[in-house]
Amino acid sequence: MRKFCKWIFPVLAVLVFSACEDPIDVDVKAGEPKLVIDAFVNNLNEAQRIRLTRSIPYFTKPGTEPPISGATVVLIDTTDFTNPKRFLFADSGNGNYIWKPNPAAGDTFTVGRTYALVVIEDGDTLIGFSKMNPTAKIDSLFVVVETGDNAGFVPGKYVEMAANDLPGTGNTYWIKTWYNDTFRNRILDMNLAYDQAGSPNSSQDGGIFIWPIRYGAINDFSKPYRTGDKVRVEIHSLTPETFYWLTLIRNENQNGGLFATPPSNIGTNIFSLNPAKKRGLAGFFCMSATNRAVITIK
Amino acid sequence: MGRYLLLLLFSGFSALLQAQQKFTLSGYVSDSASSESISGAVVSLQSAGVRSDGVSVATNSYGFFSITLNKGNYQVITKAPGYVASEMAVNLDTHFSRNISLLKQSVGLGEVRISANRNDNVRKIDISAQNINSQTIKKIPAFLGEADVIKAVQLLPGVSTVGEGATGFNVRGGGIDQNLVLMDEAPIFNSAHLFGFFSIFNPDGVKDVQLVKGGIPAQYGGRLSSTLDVRMKEGNKKQFQANGGVGTIFSRLTLEGPVVKNKASFMVAGRRSYIDALAKPFLNSNLSGSQFYFYDLATKINYSRGRDHYYVSGYFGDDAFSAPNAFGVKWGNSTVTARWNHVFNKKLFSNFTYYYSRYRYDIEFKNRDLSFNWKSFIVNNSAKVDFNYYLTPKHQLTFGSHTTYYIFKPGSAVATSKKGEFNFSLPDKYALENAVYVGNEFNPSGKFSYRLGLRMSSWYYLGKGKAYYFDYAATPNGRKILNNTRDYGAGETIAAYINPEPRFGFKYQLNNASSVKGGYNRMVQNLHLISNTSASVPFDVWQPTTNNIKPEKADQYTIGYFHNFGSSGNDFEASFETYYKSLQNQVDYVDGADLLLNELLEGELLNGKGRAYGAEFYIRKSSGNLSGWISYTLSRSERLVEGINNYGWFPMRFDRLHNLYVVMQYKLTDKWEASANFVYSSGTPTTFYSNQYNVQGYIVPDISSNARNNVRNPDYHRLDVSATYIKRKSKKWEKSWVFSVYNAYNRRNPFSIYFATNYQAQDINQAIRYSVIGSFVPAVSYNFKWN
Repeated sequence: MRKFCKWIFPVLAVLVFSACEDPIDVDVKAGEPKLVIDAFVNNLNEAQRIRLTRSIPYFTKPGTEPPISGATVVLIDTTDFTNPKRFLFADSGNGNYIWKPNPAAGDTFTVGRTYALVVIEDGDTLIGFSKMNPTAKIDSLFVVVETGDNAGFVPGKYVEMAANDLPGTGNTYWIKTWYNDTFRNRILDMNLAYDQAGSPNSSQDGGIFIWPIRYGAINDFSKPYRTGDKVRVEIHSLTPETFYWLTLIRNENQNGGLFATPPSNIGTNIFSLNPAKKRGLAGFFCMSATNRAVITIK
Repeated sequence: MGRYLLLLLFSGFSALLQAQQKFTLSGYVSDSASSESISGAVVSLQSAGVRSDGVSVATNSYGFFSITLNKGNYQVITKAPGYVASEMAVNLDTHFSRNISLLKQSVGLGEVRISANRNDNVRKIDISAQNINSQTIKKIPAFLGEADVIKAVQLLPGVSTVGEGATGFNVRGGGIDQNLVLMDEAPIFNSAHLFGFFSIFNPDGVKDVQLVKGGIPAQYGGRLSSTLDVRMKEGNKKQFQANGGVGTIFSRLTLEGPVVKNKASFMVAGRRSYIDALAKPFLNSNLSGSQFYFYDLATKINYSRGRDHYYVSGYFGDDAFSAPNAFGVKWGNSTVTARWNHVFNKKLFSNFTYYYSRYRYDIEFKNRDLSFNWKSFIVNNSAKVDFNYYLTPKHQLTFGSHTTYYIFKPGSAVATSKKGEFNFSLPDKYALENAVYVGNEFNPSGKFSYRLGLRMSSWYYLGKGKAYYFDYAATPNGRKILNNTRDYGAGETIAAYINPEPRFGFKYQLNNASSVKGGYNRMVQNLHLISNTSASVPFDVWQPTTNNIKPEKADQYTIGYFHNFGSSGNDFEASFETYYKSLQNQVDYVDGADLLLNELLEGELLNGKGRAYGAEFYIRKSSGNLSGWISYTLSRSERLVEGINNYGWFPMRFDRLHNLYVVMQYKLTDKWEASANFVYSSGTPTTFYSNQYNVQGYIVPDISSNARNNVRNPDYHRLDVSATYIKRKSKKWEKSWVFSVYNAYNRRNPFSIYFATNYQAQDINQAIRYSVIGSFVPAVSYNFKWN
């Protein structure tokens, strides 16, 4: 529902007379850098990456965050306390810590289990927990042709997903789309689902995902697909905590104008075992079960 | 000898008896031309031959007065601002019912206006109360030349806004939902059209407006910070009158006149915008058939007969925006009020009111595949009884009761697509509110008077519905997780709260021209406007007090010094007031709160404390060719919520330290008048990001100090000017042209500064200054009056 509302406000704002915006210089003192742990891990049969960096001042160029090397990063399966299964992520340079699954040797994640992330960096131990929840299955991806009778939609071919929410309230998902192997990372495209809808509602459980989730956010309606294009859609399961955390990221990135909400920090589910250290921490840890489907436009 | 003694004794005794006899003079004060009742007029009775101030009483909001004195001869002097004082002699040897008509002052150029009753502000016990009449409102230069009631209120001391585009106003550090805005006794939930650029009140239909910011008497309740009581005209009982105008954005027409001469009259005031009709030829085919308009219609009919007056009023208004096959949005208030005044035994005035008030919005989104409809409303059905008992000239009682039944529809939303229908509706909520009050106004001596009152208010949150019970959140500002729910049947009480609201006010008269006044009030509020955006959106939802959301409370202390001076003694009214307000159970929000169509909304809310304090200086000149006022308010409004700003006090989004308003009106010639306003306000607070990091390919902004509202936006200042050319064609017609410029020196006042990533310009982070009105706005409008 946030999607519709956010859509309406800019339209109404246009009708307000002579409103204007321009960039200005402001003087802001950058604070202490935080340790940022980007730990989204899934159960696809491919290398999994956890990234450690530090935060930088707001007005420096994004993408220049300094990487952290030499840390120990390990995932632990918390189910068996006598001999917990460990997954060691090796420092592969540039702040990336990589682990490759090995299904033949049973070196994989199991849906339904809770995992702990342990990071040892600069003498401090940081910990986070995440359950790997089951994910929804994509029944199919199919092509939809827009003929121009939908206002603002450029006519052409687009993709729709047929998928149902799992029964039981409280299932959260992140639906990601790749277009010819490029991830659709516009903040407006961040496609999150709580049961069938965009926010908790006990009546929206178990059925097909609502229109904005199965169609709206999967496409850019100003750029239709061409024949030969490859579209890949993945549904990643989340935990409700992760769902709200990603919602905050989406909100903070679209916050401005007449109806802005107060800027605030986005928390983290990773904490230090040594509270006296008082270090700034950011990032999130989430284990996702993932279901993938690919379609080539004909 | 014995006989003479007996006669002496007898005559002495009967003289004694006769001296004890008291008689009541009562009645209504009204305008001689239209018969509109005048509230706040002062009726004084002076013993004939005795030079003193005598005793006096003010008319109530229906124009009624009652004064009981010993039998004798009296000079009755009636005064009201803007009217010529009337004098008449009365031999009070029986109960008299007398209606007093006052003639409106017409002041030609150069004449000194008779300063009738200008020391009202010094003599009346009301503290922190301000009255503005329709005439003053129409003279203040306004946005696009449209005179506006709320814009005039925003120029008074103690009142501010968060910026242009704000739908409400803030009084003494309170939120926009803390003002009880009444139109003929019925509450209005959104007093603005088009995001606050115009209010819903048509100035041609408004009789007078009273803003009470402190020392609120016992008959008002339900909101913490103020009462804005807007009374609409009854309608000219003597002759038919038409008032109207054509402006840049909308046109208006008000018709009023007698239905039965001197007994019954009607008033209809309507306005409609037509920018959509003007824009039609310029819209491309996709958008042709778009509509955007707003309108309001205020209607009233009244009938008086002997001791009874009957009134029925209705208000209907809407803002609508729609584009065919895309979206449609509509929001508006409607109210219907029926009132009956009855005078019992001349000392007891009563008013019985029933009102229905509804604020609703409707959003529709449609395309080939999908249609989505979302409705929400708040409805009140209320019955109230108010009594004014004029015991003696020194002692007046008010008492009454007010019962309201509320229905809240937080959101009924249905989405229909080829794959089926999705129903996101939230269940309706119900509540019953009741208040009984007693107020006592007492003048024991000429110098000291006080007002003491108690209002007992109770709130019942009722079924049919579900009560939600939450666990404590993991962190103080975290979202609460649902523990369990419980279903209640229709009419069952889910939560009940009973709150006493003591009210106290006093006045100490230093001399004829100055007084010291003070007051204390405790206010309770059970309706909460759920909004976490800078400017309130028309789709913000009103929520009731529940088992989770507690009643908001405020305690306000205020004290002030009032003084009049000038060559004729009353040319200038001046006052200095200070206040301190302490607020409890203030509603705040978790980070990223999901407030729309969220069944678990109560888990997104936080409970905090507030405090607001300040000083207001005000000086006003009402006579002569140059009139107007200067108001300067120094104020602070802060809040404390666990989990926000590291549990330290932080300023509210609308907090402004300095607020200077200068309003001037100058009568140049018989045909030309000029006016100007200047507004200067300190910048509002904001929060700046200091750092950023990257997760999953997204840029995440960060506030390293975790502070809220620790930086200030630039100051706001603006000058508006206007010139009016008046043409009196004949005795019946009066026409005028108004030329105005809003924001005359073209200042681009920033509403906010927000931070965003500019994806087009190679992903750099920028601070963006956002202004709502970024240039000067000229306008011309034409007004006419026919009678």
